[in-house]
Amino acid sequence: MAKTREQNAGIFNTYDLKKTGGKLIYGIMVAILILAGIVALFPSIWIFMMGLKDTQEIYANTSFFPENLTWTVFVERLAEAIQLVEFWKMSFNTLLVSLGSVAMTLFVSGMGGYVISRLKPRGTKLIFILIVWTMMMPGQIRTVPLFISYLSFPFVAEIPGEVSLINTYWPMWLGAAASCFNIILFKNQFDSISISLVEAAKIDGCGNGRIFFNIMLPLSVPTILYISIVTMQGAWSEFFNGYLVLTERSIQTLPVRVFVTSTAQGVKQNTYMLCLILSSLPMLILFMLFHRQMIGGANVGGVKG
Amino acid sequence: MAQTEKKKSVSIRRKQRLINDLQAWVWLLPAVIVLYLMIWRPTVMGGVWSLFKMKGYKPVEFIGLKNFFEVVRDTNFIPMLINTLKYVVCSLVVGFIPPFLLAVMVNELRCFKNGMKTIIYLPAVVPGVAALLMWSYIYAPDHTGLLNMLLGAFGMEPYGWLMDEKLTILYIIVSMTWSGCAGAMLLYFSSLQSVTTELYEAATIDGAGIFRKFRHVTIPQVGGVLLLQLIQQIISVFQVMEQPMAMTGGGPNNASISIGFQIYRYGFVNGRAGHAMALSVISFIFLLCLTAFYFKLQKKIESNL
Repeated sequence: MAKTREQNAGIFNTYDLKKTGGKLIYGIMVAILILAGIVALFPSIWIFMMGLKDTQEIYANTSFFPENLTWTVFVERLAEAIQLVEFWKMSFNTLLVSLGSVAMTLFVSGMGGYVISRLKPRGTKLIFILIVWTMMMPGQIRTVPLFISYLSFPFVAEIPGEVSLINTYWPMWLGAAASCFNIILFKNQFDSISISLVEAAKIDGCGNGRIFFNIMLPLSVPTILYISIVTMQGAWSEFFNGYLVLTERSIQTLPVRVFVTSTAQGVKQNTYMLCLILSSLPMLILFMLFHRQMIGGANVGGVKG
Repeated sequence: MAQTEKKKSVSIRRKQRLINDLQAWVWLLPAVIVLYLMIWRPTVMGGVWSLFKMKGYKPVEFIGLKNFFEVVRDTNFIPMLINTLKYVVCSLVVGFIPPFLLAVMVNELRCFKNGMKTIIYLPAVVPGVAALLMWSYIYAPDHTGLLNMLLGAFGMEPYGWLMDEKLTILYIIVSMTWSGCAGAMLLYFSSLQSVTTELYEAATIDGAGIFRKFRHVTIPQVGGVLLLQLIQQIISVFQVMEQPMAMTGGGPNNASISIGFQIYRYGFVNGRAGHAMALSVISFIFLLCLTAFYFKLQKKIESNL
């Protein structure tokens, strides 16, 4: 039943597809989509192939596939690329950044969303309006002042007891936590949980902590998953903040190291091209694990604010 | 007697309420602190410090609007504004319609729909900077670039691509579209799926063909989302920074410098933090008008849904 409905949904119905005109348009459409698929995939594949070529081969030979590629050569080139950007170490660093970001944003926006949705103390309305307004604020103006505040955190006054956040992951973690959108997502999620459940728990003597952890969070797994994935994705491709803050080579994240390496001296072009492909590997794995949430995720995000 | 008891219970209730409110505020505190440190304070600080003379990253002296005058008098100011507008216009021409049309087409597919979604989503797996660097290899001006290889296959001379002052912005936008297309498409998918089949059926009964159904059913139904995406895209492209930074370094001959890139150069390369903040205030005011318009529109559209 659901399937037939799905089949008829959309502009084309079964009748349209039986007419010559409809068939023609559908054919053109499929052709365009195949082209789009090629455009989507080909650049990465080409970079990969170029990366597997020899340095001289890149200039001399314009064929698509690399010549004389054996398994040992392949492993050798891959190892060279892994060594060039210290792939494992940088991936571990980025993993730290992404896990910290997820933990921070879930903690901060989960609790914030719960208060705004359920507890509603006096003054919540003001905070909520502020949060909605904050979503409107363009971020560009914060670039320089944020960097200045990282230099002597948190009071920007250079008094004793202040710390520099340069070469730490705190700017990324705090940046991920300061997400108005996630607070509102959590608020909407908690709003949708039936009030009678909460009332029953209250009568049984549950405090806020137990209501939050034992009722609210278990019922919000899809939202939690969605926010975690999006935050992770953000952390794996975040570049500018890390580039400003992480000047020490050993603690850089993968995208930062890839960019820094692009301007370094004496880097072989083919090895570097492989590095570009390598840097997308972690996100590819994340995508393979969670493709359903990622592709269908916009539904969660589209909940009205 | 009864009255005093009642008074007592009222005061106990008040006390209880106060305690509850306090507890709720403690739960909200992390969110408020993080938002204050990462968003509210830097935004205000950017405005205030744009009026100060900065020594390194320290404000030393109040100088009124002098930073603003100096920024406006900079020889790059007018070309930079024009370039930023070029980015916006190009991204609307190249990057706005194609994702929508592709989303409509994928939505019409009878088979391999999810596979197609996955393929078109894959470019988003490549981290932002890595994608930009990949594209700078594809645009390589000598015969090693992918596009010049293709030209070569047709017997044409290599072309400069990003070195072409007139079109470099267009090429940057093409690469941005390649990596940003997937995100926009996901948004369109969810709104396309919410178009009810009955509308298409009714249109068919009224004798509408495929194009008329697209024109008179699909577009009005997802028009709201399209409009919101349009403004969002203007806002985000207006702040473009990483792309010229990674792909062209602002060149050739300053032909691709944008407001965002200039802010980066002032703030982190030339050591003129005051100028950087003055320029970001100018762009902030402009963007704020746009965002206010966006939210007004969003409210109107959501109340129509």
